[in-house]
Amino acid sequence: MTTIPFGPRRDDDALMAKVAELPKDVAPSRDLWPGIAARLGEERRATASRGMGWPAALAAGLLVASVSALLTWGLVRESRTPPDAEVLAGGTVAPADIRPVSYGANSALGADQLAARDALLAEFQARVARLAPETRESVLANLAIIQKAADEIDAALARDPASGLLNELLVGTYQQELQLYSKVVTARDGTTRRT
Amino acid sequence: MRAETESERVARARGGDAGAFESLYREHVGRVYGLCLRMTGQPAAAEDLTQDTFVSAWKSLPGYEGRSSFSTWLHRIAVNAVLATRRSPRGRNETSLTGEDGNDMELVAEDAMDEATPIDLERAIGTLPTGARDIVVLHGIYGYSHEEAAGMLGVAVGTCKAQLHRARQLLRERMRMEAAT
Repeated sequence: MTTIPFGPRRDDDALMAKVAELPKDVAPSRDLWPGIAARLGEERRATASRGMGWPAALAAGLLVASVSALLTWGLVRESRTPPDAEVLAGGTVAPADIRPVSYGANSALGADQLAARDALLAEFQARVARLAPETRESVLANLAIIQKAADEIDAALARDPASGLLNELLVGTYQQELQLYSKVVTARDGTTRRT
Repeated sequence: MRAETESERVARARGGDAGAFESLYREHVGRVYGLCLRMTGQPAAAEDLTQDTFVSAWKSLPGYEGRSSFSTWLHRIAVNAVLATRRSPRGRNETSLTGEDGNDMELVAEDAMDEATPIDLERAIGTLPTGARDIVVLHGIYGYSHEEAAGMLGVAVGTCKAQLHRARQLLRERMRMEAAT
């Protein structure tokens, strides 16, 4: 019986075994740490300056209504009857069923950022649960768009964890989520005053 | 006193401890530089890319959750840095010519692996076309599976296997040429 050779040739195996034996570590010709340390210092200074600007950025994120994902909801809301009617219409959704955006394993969002979001969450959930079904649907659709964006960015970050652009985009989705919460919560306050 | 584990040092570095990060650098720089050197064939570029890799890692540490080993995570950043550089004008310092099979054969620039490079096999790997060289480095030297290497390089698993097959053929030929000279 003739045996048909299958898989790599024996000399290939020997060659690849030699390849596998090559040293994994190669020492650079000079110490690269001083250059890295200098750049980390610059990075830390930049981060500190971004950190000082963070409350302002957050406030801007809460106030500026220029997010396309929120446009639909905004238009629907503007064309509706006065907000009082929305509140009176009641709803059948339990606040706990309205889930916040879940940021994936590759997210660099800090605990303080998520805590800021969670501080608004309960009020947002309660308000959304009481909205008229049509408005509620629109709000939840916008939340789903933000979730989808967060998921896509997280998947991309898994492939390219060091991408500054992707990390910025992720922060952008987080700000959109905060904007949505803020608008919904603020709308309730307006309703109360308008009676 | 118990020596600090790598994950403990990673946790401290995530908290902004540059000393812990330097210790991680000392431990991993050889592998990262080796990877960059073999993928680029250019010592100066490999040193720059090694620095870029560690700076990027520092920035991305808050997002590192330990799903893969720190070494794998670092290598992924290094491969990304190499691929990004190849797309930039800075990375196009490679001579390209066409082989008998019509495919591009790339020979690294003159200073890539000098005559003092002790291992003929290493020099032969340095003359492989880029795609074949990448898979030999990641799969052959650093032991990543085809799936892992494909994920790092952003190509299909089948492409990795085909590149490895081609690399084996070319390496055999070049090692024979080395032996004949």
